[in-house]
Amino acid sequence: MQSAPLPETLANLVGLDPNSTPVMIVMSLVGAALIGTLMMTNTALAGPWAKRKITAAFTDRIAVDRIGPYGLFIIVADAVRLLSKELIVPDGVDRPAWDLAPLVIASSALLGFAVIPMGSGIHLADPEVGLAYVFATASIASVGLVMAGYASNNKYSFLGGLRAVAQNVAYEIPLILTGASVVIFAGSLQMSEIVAAQQQALIGPIPSWYAFVNPFAFVLFMIANLAEVGRNPFDIPEAPTEIVAGYQTEYSSVYFVLIYLGEFIHIFLGGAIIATIFLGGPAGPGPASLGIVWFLVKIWGVFLFTQWARSAVPRVRIDQLIEIGWKGMLVLSLANLLLTAVIVGVIA
Amino acid sequence: MSNPWIAIGALAVVALAIPITMMAVSSLLRPRVPEQGKTATYESGEVPTGSSRQIKFNIQYYMVALLFVVFDIETVLIFPWTVIYRDAVSAVGMTKALLPMVVFIGVLVVGLGWAWRNGAVRWVRSPRATKGADTYE
Repeated sequence: MQSAPLPETLANLVGLDPNSTPVMIVMSLVGAALIGTLMMTNTALAGPWAKRKITAAFTDRIAVDRIGPYGLFIIVADAVRLLSKELIVPDGVDRPAWDLAPLVIASSALLGFAVIPMGSGIHLADPEVGLAYVFATASIASVGLVMAGYASNNKYSFLGGLRAVAQNVAYEIPLILTGASVVIFAGSLQMSEIVAAQQQALIGPIPSWYAFVNPFAFVLFMIANLAEVGRNPFDIPEAPTEIVAGYQTEYSSVYFVLIYLGEFIHIFLGGAIIATIFLGGPAGPGPASLGIVWFLVKIWGVFLFTQWARSAVPRVRIDQLIEIGWKGMLVLSLANLLLTAVIVGVIA
Repeated sequence: MSNPWIAIGALAVVALAIPITMMAVSSLLRPRVPEQGKTATYESGEVPTGSSRQIKFNIQYYMVALLFVVFDIETVLIFPWTVIYRDAVSAVGMTKALLPMVVFIGVLVVGLGWAWRNGAVRWVRSPRATKGADTYE
């Protein structure tokens, strides 16, 4: 199951020495561009098209169907439309921070994909601290949200930024602790090891994916992930009926695109983490070369779940949010961690 | 096996290059039509009042952030333990591997209980916010 990281594979493919550093830097850039393109393609498909189609299906509407087959060319139309909008800089914005916030939100989300094993040999890097790295990069977005909320000089943005960070910190701990319970099973933070540990059969044809081994942790993680990506029932940072659009109220043109893009990449990053540590990564029936297909199926499954929650679940209030996070999820995730440790200790 | 951080650095470069390219493309495409009133802060169409940097916000946002710092450091301390736990059980037995962590998490849970009792995780409402609406407490 262990395959060489993508830059090494690329270097061998073009017949260069994978031990020389300059070759590896170039090949890493090529590999990174490939990963970036892959995720941008997913996001482009999800943001302007799939999201509309899915929400429309839930609410019995048709959504985009005018341009191209199934309305698919709306992606191009929307890209041109949004990028060619005037950028309105509101009065009193805190200039460097206001410009940097979209950049931070969009870039930090992409960064996490470096260590995700996507199957079919698409695995950019495999450091030993893989899982800790993913959680670390996924958290950087909170900084961008606070920057956006504070710098906009708008009361809605300010409240949205505060709510976003209160929510992210409240659900970050359950998220990481539940992730840690998986590490107890796998005994490693390295992503390839975590995936490899899920390959044996559990009962009959069911593989020992940690979602089947520890369904309780899986459910906790899915809920905490919904809060981390800010989708219903935890979408109070943007709550359109209360605070307009939260931290993105004052953003227009390309900055709006970047914040939106960051959010969608973040959903896919959440999906990628779930797929890797709970759903066996790129594992699935058929030859190993189909890995990327199964991986994409899994992250789109998680995306579909977030859109389902978005259409079907009502929003919680801020006081409920804090209570669910600190009194419910945190206690449950600590219980899950200790229980997992006891079970693993008894079996081992 | 080469250094994986080269590839991670490369992705960082790409992750910055994509948004910056989009900003550059947009700056070439977009019009610039400065008009009076366009740059006013959006406050649902009303004339904006005061600065948003002077508004007083709920102290609870600060309390949960403070609590987060404590528990985030806790997760940092838990992670190394989870990695070696399986080997530790077979090396020194379950009691020695598990008990210190139970005590550690126990101390944290006591701390959380204390914060809970003192209302750090209960959302405080100002009397003005709850006036006439305290039926759903």
